[in-house]
Amino acid sequence: MKRQDKKFDLVVVGGGHAGIEAALIAHKRGVKTLLISMDKNSVGRTSCNPAVGGLAKGQMVKEVDVLGGMMGAFADLSTLQSKTLNKSKGRSVWSPRSQIDKNLYEKIAQSYIKKVGLEVLEAEVVSLYIKNNSILGVFLRDKTKISCSSVVLTCGTFLNGLIHIGKEQIKAGRYGEKRSEGITENLNSLGLVSGRLKTGTPPRIKRSTVNWKKGEAGYGDKKPSPLSYRTERFSPKNEPCYSFRTNKKTHELILQNLSSSAMYSGKNMATGPRYCPSIEDKVYKFDQNPSHVLQLEPEWTMSEQIYVNGFSTSLEEKIQLKSLRTVKGLEKVEFIRPGYAIEYDFFYPSQLKNTLESKAISGLFMAGQINGTSGYEEASSQGVIAGINSSCFILNEEPLVLKRNDAYIGVLIDDLILKDTDEPYRMFTSRAEYRLQLRSSNADQRLLEKSKKYRLLDNKTLKGLSKKIENTKKIVKHLENNNVKPQIINTRLEELNERPINEPTRISNILKRPKVSISDFKIDVVQLENSLTTHMKEEIFFEAETIIKYSGYINRQKEEIDKIKVYEEMIIPEQFDYNNIKSLSNESREKFINIKPQTIGQAQRINGIRPSDISILLVYLKRPFHVKQKK
Amino acid sequence: MTIVACSTPPGISGIAVVRVSGKNSIEKVSSFIKDSPFNKKTPLSKICFLVDKDGVAFDEAVVTSYIGPNSYTGEDLVEISCHGNPKIISKIIDLAVDVGSRLAEPGEFTKTAFLNGKLDLSEAESVSSIIHSMSIVGVKAGVKNLKGGLSEKIKLIKSNLISLVANLEFNLDISEEDLQPDLLESSEKTIKNVICWLEKCIITFNETKMFHSGASVVILGPPNAGKSTLFNCLVDKNQSIVTNVEGTTRDVVEKNIDINGLPVILKDTAGIRKSEDLVEKVGIEKSFNEARDADLILVLNDPDKTFNDGKHIHIFNKSDIEKPDGNYDILISAKTGNNVEKLKKVIYKSLVQGKAHDTLLTSKRQCLAVESSLKHIKEAYSLLVGENSLELLVEDINRSIHFLDEITSKTTKDDILDAVFSSFCVGK
Ligand SMILES: Nc1nc2c(ncn2[C@@H]2O[C@H](COP(=O)(O)OP(=O)(O)O)[C@@H](O)[C@H]2O)c(=O)[nH]1
Ligand SMILES: [Mg+2]
Repeated sequence: MKRQDKKFDLVVVGGGHAGIEAALIAHKRGVKTLLISMDKNSVGRTSCNPAVGGLAKGQMVKEVDVLGGMMGAFADLSTLQSKTLNKSKGRSVWSPRSQIDKNLYEKIAQSYIKKVGLEVLEAEVVSLYIKNNSILGVFLRDKTKISCSSVVLTCGTFLNGLIHIGKEQIKAGRYGEKRSEGITENLNSLGLVSGRLKTGTPPRIKRSTVNWKKGEAGYGDKKPSPLSYRTERFSPKNEPCYSFRTNKKTHELILQNLSSSAMYSGKNMATGPRYCPSIEDKVYKFDQNPSHVLQLEPEWTMSEQIYVNGFSTSLEEKIQLKSLRTVKGLEKVEFIRPGYAIEYDFFYPSQLKNTLESKAISGLFMAGQINGTSGYEEASSQGVIAGINSSCFILNEEPLVLKRNDAYIGVLIDDLILKDTDEPYRMFTSRAEYRLQLRSSNADQRLLEKSKKYRLLDNKTLKGLSKKIENTKKIVKHLENNNVKPQIINTRLEELNERPINEPTRISNILKRPKVSISDFKIDVVQLENSLTTHMKEEIFFEAETIIKYSGYINRQKEEIDKIKVYEEMIIPEQFDYNNIKSLSNESREKFINIKPQTIGQAQRINGIRPSDISILLVYLKRPFHVKQKK
Repeated sequence: MTIVACSTPPGISGIAVVRVSGKNSIEKVSSFIKDSPFNKKTPLSKICFLVDKDGVAFDEAVVTSYIGPNSYTGEDLVEISCHGNPKIISKIIDLAVDVGSRLAEPGEFTKTAFLNGKLDLSEAESVSSIIHSMSIVGVKAGVKNLKGGLSEKIKLIKSNLISLVANLEFNLDISEEDLQPDLLESSEKTIKNVICWLEKCIITFNETKMFHSGASVVILGPPNAGKSTLFNCLVDKNQSIVTNVEGTTRDVVEKNIDINGLPVILKDTAGIRKSEDLVEKVGIEKSFNEARDADLILVLNDPDKTFNDGKHIHIFNKSDIEKPDGNYDILISAKTGNNVEKLKKVIYKSLVQGKAHDTLLTSKRQCLAVESSLKHIKEAYSLLVGENSLELLVEDINRSIHFLDEITSKTTKDDILDAVFSSFCVGK
């Protein structure tokens, strides 16, 4: 069959974490989907650190999982070490993270794609075929046209990618991979505005050249928890990572050679992230820190290739090596390849709707680094949403929009479309005002209904999770409705140095005390369904306890959410002309015109917009000046 | 829409100011100015003749035009300073309405200014506080806030809280290791400081409240001590019934007076004695209630009561005919007026002494916001002491910040992340 004859509903451009999630979920939902990647063998590649999850990201992976995404499942099958971070802190910020075997991860991803029958084409898309602001297809480098009615662009760092190592510059999408040209210019000509961002990656070193005895070994949890709800048995390897420390000498060397660095922010280059700074930025900006930690992480099982976490750099290769060798234990270290910085095109995400569809071109969706984000999990989250919504576009269904109180993914997309980032966007738990509700332990409770509605999970998983949620509710009810007698609990309370009770008291009231836990009460009287696994039962008890402990705060937040709901539902007409409102400051007007908020709620969240701007908007939208609460 | 109103108090006065604000205000006002020199491009202040429809001049006035957004309301604005004759004022307003203006609602000029981003909420409130303030001290506080004094102070408190949250967030969100060792201690210190500041804000507001809304001063004492006589003497008009019959004053009588620039609400009460008369009993009851809420109590001719709490002044009345029977702060004669001027000074001093003159909060709303903020930061404090988890602590501090935001501008998540990034090396 000739390529020209091929016709698809959806074409996903790019086979990274955003791309495979988008293509797989659309495929699962019955849409005729084609995944196009410049290199078939690099589909599912983890191009930076060998880990999935982590602070705020672990929560996102679980959300992706409930929405039918594959990242958690792939990671569980390739885990080298699993650990829940932040265990010493409150449970809403507990975040699962897995070191993974990169090679295995991409192999698993690729074979899964094959298994489910998703079609993959190795080619380079150079432009979109668009008429009347609608998608008709894509053009490949060899001028082939592939017809489709929707496209998801997930181009990662490939659009006009430019690698910097010291003063050296290489045109590439990733180290050793060709960059992609044409799409940016094509979209620019259609009026979409692009910018440049940069990100960096540390050197990869040879295991055999490290004196491991000088490092401090770090292992995973004894009782690790999987990232995917679909993983039934999880007993991963427990390969250690080792931490080493930089010292004064390292820092001196770096400072002396700052001028050779392309990453160093002093230079007139695309903006890099502040949260994952290059070692040169760290040394320069935080000169009060005498030492920075370097985590040496294996890239696959017993791999010779070792990732130097914390040493992202674009210094000249010679200097990279010289300064790394000042670290105790790395005196004789050798590179497999040096660290580098990469500059690439992204499209200002305020040009997207909250469905990730372009405001200007219907059927065009974007996900991942092309929207200015950083991180596998952020990419995968957008991929799932773009995949679901492009399939909704094709199937003529109502799109899926997650709110800020539904999921980190909701926070992510809302932030993206409302604030034009000038550095790659990374998720933090502190970005989520409803953090207490967005726990890694309740992603299923939050999103299962959506998952059902959009047919994202297999029946078995769906049933299992529904059962889990029901049983959790049952226990919570028990805790809220039943008393515990003093003679039963007081001994335990005294052990905990807690005030004893004088009369029978609601279990939930006592459980709210910080030191008391659910296991202090005899609640085996509550009949849980037999078919639940031990692991699920543990999760149920943990969740029930959490729900009780946080209830005061969460109820308050729910009230708040109800209050602002009015604004979230107040639509600003798409054609609304801000130029008519003379009383807006020029700055605010420009922001409104650029971002075109879809609701008053969104308008309020735009950076720099003042309450008076909103009052003015309300006046012009013929809404009461002060919105009264319903009821 | 163009709005018009007289901005000075009604009645006869030397000068009155009529304001016209709106898109075509300059054009509209020009229609009743002889040979109008005004245009929409340059602001101008000029003495002009105001003319009736038939072209006859009816007043000479100073007319000043402002070009939006550089005006009080942010729109084009004309101020006409005419002679303060009510007939002239209403004529100007009529003419403005005839050419298509509308009478402004109370506060509409300020509301327009707020809507146009000329004032923030706390500044808008300051304007109303200046207008409604009963004393010069109140006006001063209002003026200070109009210049942003309140916003500055609250911003300072907020920045302390923001850097505290940043510190906690760094430990929650970014640092994957254990907590910074001195985190809890330093947080406790910051929280304590903030509690202290906010409490002070509220105290000074309550103390200076009397400069806006008046201090309440109650006259107490046995029947026939001369309470009503003193009341009348201070009020300078016969308001209370003065008789020789004990128990004449049964209801509390009150009157706003001015003592050396300080607004005072003076209250005359029933005499205090054992009484069988039900009506009188109720009166006595009321006296005690008033006394409890008063800022100051004037105790007349009662040698037994000797509170020394600064809330009472012990006065011996009728010094023209009797000798004091105990220790008193001051001797007066309400009838002859002897020493009453001195009493006024003592009253003023007792009310003002040791109390803040300087308040930042000028409205009840602001004070309520600060109180809510305080409540949450106190909750945060008890969480911290009670070994609760950090993210709950952050929750309460954020609520506390949120209420301060109601007074000034909004704090965003980015403000906090910015604080994190600027003070910590966020490694991984
Ligand atoms: N000689 C003299 N008589 C006074 C003085 N103050 C009040 N009186 C008289 O005392 C009587 C009772 O006064 P009144 O004010 O009604 O006392 P009240 O019951 O405390 O309100 C009246 O006849 C007053 O004229 C004073 O300073 N000197
Ligand atoms: Mg009397």
